[in-house]
Amino acid sequence: MQQSAKFILVGFTVGILSGLLGLGGGVFLIPVMVTAFAVAQHNAHATSLAVVVPTAIVSAVIYGLHGFIDFSITLNIIVGSIVGASLGARLAQKIPAAQLKRLFGLFMVVVGLRMIYS
Amino acid sequence: MTIFIIFIMGLVTGILSGLFGVGGGIILIPMLVLILNIPQHNAQGISMLMMIPTAIVGIYHFNKDKLVNYNMAGYMAAGAVVGALISANFVQYIPAEILKKFFGLFIICVGARMIWTKPKK
Repeated sequence: MQQSAKFILVGFTVGILSGLLGLGGGVFLIPVMVTAFAVAQHNAHATSLAVVVPTAIVSAVIYGLHGFIDFSITLNIIVGSIVGASLGARLAQKIPAAQLKRLFGLFMVVVGLRMIYS
Repeated sequence: MTIFIIFIMGLVTGILSGLFGVGGGIILIPMLVLILNIPQHNAQGISMLMMIPTAIVGIYHFNKDKLVNYNMAGYMAAGAVVGALISANFVQYIPAEILKKFFGLFIICVGARMIWTKPKK
């Protein structure tokens, strides 16, 4: 199969899963990129964010049309989250790939536990 | 005071989003539900909108070091958008709670493998 067709298939599967489970999809995309496509850890994190943006735009429009978005709270959160994202991304760039992978693994275990016990 | 708490929630979500390359919904949604008593669906809506500028800031930083593979991201996003649109329409027919537990277990296994892998030389 062509590489681009594989990417679309992975995206499609992750898209279905994230829609069903209410996740952004990064938690599935990153391990797939790292293990199946041999993408370096930092590149996988950065590329995952680029997949999150269009997916979130589509979902946000749907949620918005259904009246599920409180814009004043969201704006307040965004003020904090863009400052945080800037700090987080800089921190990620300072951490060596092997450690970033372990840290991400730990994050996955916590996310998985929360999915089971929620 | 509430404004300050919401700001801190955003800050924590943003740090984890930038660090781990995820949208951050998995962190923000439970905080919105548990701390602010926002209903699950509204929390998911807020989380989706929050992700857009947050991820863009992350991309901006990673982009400077040429870490974003836009070619790969484009194809994956095309698939993901279609998949998300389909599953949004079928979500009520699927036992999401069982699915969630199944994938929770799967994520723990993959995560554990990532913690204990030896770095390649």
